[in-house]
Amino acid sequence: MSRLLGKDFLAGLMFIGFGAGALWFARHLPIGTAMRMGPGYVPHALAYLLLVLGFVIAAIALIYPGERCEGPRWKPLGTVTIAIVCFALLFEAAGMLPALVALVLISSWGGGEFNTLEVTANIAVLTLLCVVVFKLGLGMNVSIVAGIG
Amino acid sequence: MDIIHNLSLGISVALSLQNLLYALAGCIIGTLIGVLPGIGPVATIAMLLPITFHLPPTAALIMLAGIYYGAQYGGSTTSILVNLPGEASSVVTCIDGYQMARRGRAGAALSISAVGSFFAGTIGTIVIVLFATPLTQMAQKFGPADYCALMVLGLMAAIVLANGSVLKAIAMVLLGLLFGLVGTDVNTGAQRFTFEVAELSDGIDFAPIAMGLFGITEIILNFERRLQRSGAVKVGSLWPTMDEVRRAWPAVLRGTGLGSILGVLPGGGPTLGAFSAYMLEKKISRNPGAFGKGAVEGVAGPESANNAAAQTSFIPMLTLGIPSNAVMALMVGAMIIQGIQPGPEVMTKNPELFWGMVASMWIGNCMLVIINLPLIGIWVKLLTVPYRFLAPAILLFCSIGAYSLQNSSFHIMQVAAFGVLGYIFARLGCEGAPFLLGLVLGPQLEEYFRRAMLLSRGDPLVFIQRPISLSLLLAAAALLVLMILPSLRQARNEAFQEEET
Repeated sequence: MSRLLGKDFLAGLMFIGFGAGALWFARHLPIGTAMRMGPGYVPHALAYLLLVLGFVIAAIALIYPGERCEGPRWKPLGTVTIAIVCFALLFEAAGMLPALVALVLISSWGGGEFNTLEVTANIAVLTLLCVVVFKLGLGMNVSIVAGIG
Repeated sequence: MDIIHNLSLGISVALSLQNLLYALAGCIIGTLIGVLPGIGPVATIAMLLPITFHLPPTAALIMLAGIYYGAQYGGSTTSILVNLPGEASSVVTCIDGYQMARRGRAGAALSISAVGSFFAGTIGTIVIVLFATPLTQMAQKFGPADYCALMVLGLMAAIVLANGSVLKAIAMVLLGLLFGLVGTDVNTGAQRFTFEVAELSDGIDFAPIAMGLFGITEIILNFERRLQRSGAVKVGSLWPTMDEVRRAWPAVLRGTGLGSILGVLPGGGPTLGAFSAYMLEKKISRNPGAFGKGAVEGVAGPESANNAAAQTSFIPMLTLGIPSNAVMALMVGAMIIQGIQPGPEVMTKNPELFWGMVASMWIGNCMLVIINLPLIGIWVKLLTVPYRFLAPAILLFCSIGAYSLQNSSFHIMQVAAFGVLGYIFARLGCEGAPFLLGLVLGPQLEEYFRRAMLLSRGDPLVFIQRPISLSLLLAAAALLVLMILPSLRQARNEAFQEEET
């Protein structure tokens, strides 16, 4: 079982996955000839190369098992990703300030030591910096709080 | 004299008030992120790419270049004072620099590394001036097949220098090339891998990808490791003793020479330069036992080498349009954002940009000595800012920067998605740098490949019939063979292990 959780074996699977995916999504692209290549020529060639390499990497990993892949730690990965996604959703709809507060709150929580006073101070400094740099400095067309200004 | 004419043009461009200010800004930002562990020049330049869109091209590139070599100066400060590499290229400086600091010679170590870096930066800039024109002239004779071969050589070098398995590095390059194909095919207008998303039809923007792969992934990994800081030691007197000077200057010369050569090689760069210089110093020293216990040569050599290599790694990018490492890939991206096609034509079509940037590098090096020595106290204070304040700020600037590319939230989502993908790559031991090089070179490589095959009427032998293309491909093949030879593979593994400790 441990061989199937090795870094190299899983990497091989990932490359096979990408190669197969590329083949599937490029299936309608005409390949053309070597002289007049169609839009599908290079994507198909790369996809096949990736498939072959993926199989070779996975096969070698099965014969010579290497380092085991550590499982993901969900809290840092999840909070950082959710923080950015929240920012993306709020930025246009609600404005810079709500998006910023959400991002800093969620990511600070994800980083461990959460101190309300520190995080508030960080939010204040970053808000000031963003307004000066992006709104006043670069003239970015975004409201600080949607509907207010 | 052409060189003198070009240089005076460059100096007049670089000395304009606007360009001086952007060079200064770049140097300060570079020193800042160099000093702070956990954020490097790749992530920073990716973060600032959208902002450079608002600047004139010369100012933008001068600033980005300043960040890159500024980081080489700043990185040594952290290595020497807190035994943490501020930058990957300063890893070996930790070994003897921190030991010098513990013996109360931190100030001397800092000033030797700054002065050595300045000397190396000056020589590196001269090397660029001397080699740029002949290389550009050579590059103008290149046909599509030759360009293809050159890019293959560049990608091969990226594979050689990637950490870990060679096969995985090759696969990462291919994956990067594949991602580079996303968008509308320029020859036929066909939509490739766009999934009917309008934002993808112009091609996948690589600034959000670089931010995700290098910035966001780094933050997630640092959160996992709970990045800790140890207390900084006192700086002390900046003046080295006569004995230290006598031992340091030959090491500076050797480091500069080695770094300049290794920087030009495709795939080379500061980290390789610094590491090789340390090995060289240790090997030729009459007293190798002193290394690891605060030998001044072990600071002077690598610190000169990393700065020399940072300068000369601009050569392939500026003259041929081929990036030799991840930072140069981003510089190519910055040029494309500005509507400048990187390659041999930059020098003839945009001479102010080309020579202005080269001249600004020397001016920037002067600024950096001042920023790093008399003002060292400021940077020491900065070392005490905890990572939990920095991480949200980096996330925020990445997100806003991605949005400002095209005023679309889609690009912020892209940052998040590539952050997750970068995390998966890191967990599976796959390096991001070969992927990024593949991504940047992908569209050009396909274009030249198709053109070469069209010109040769579908005959792949064209790649070995042209002498330039043949020799470049032979060089690429030689690199691959060298990789597979067991003795060299062992040396490479040792090199990377040492780097990691």
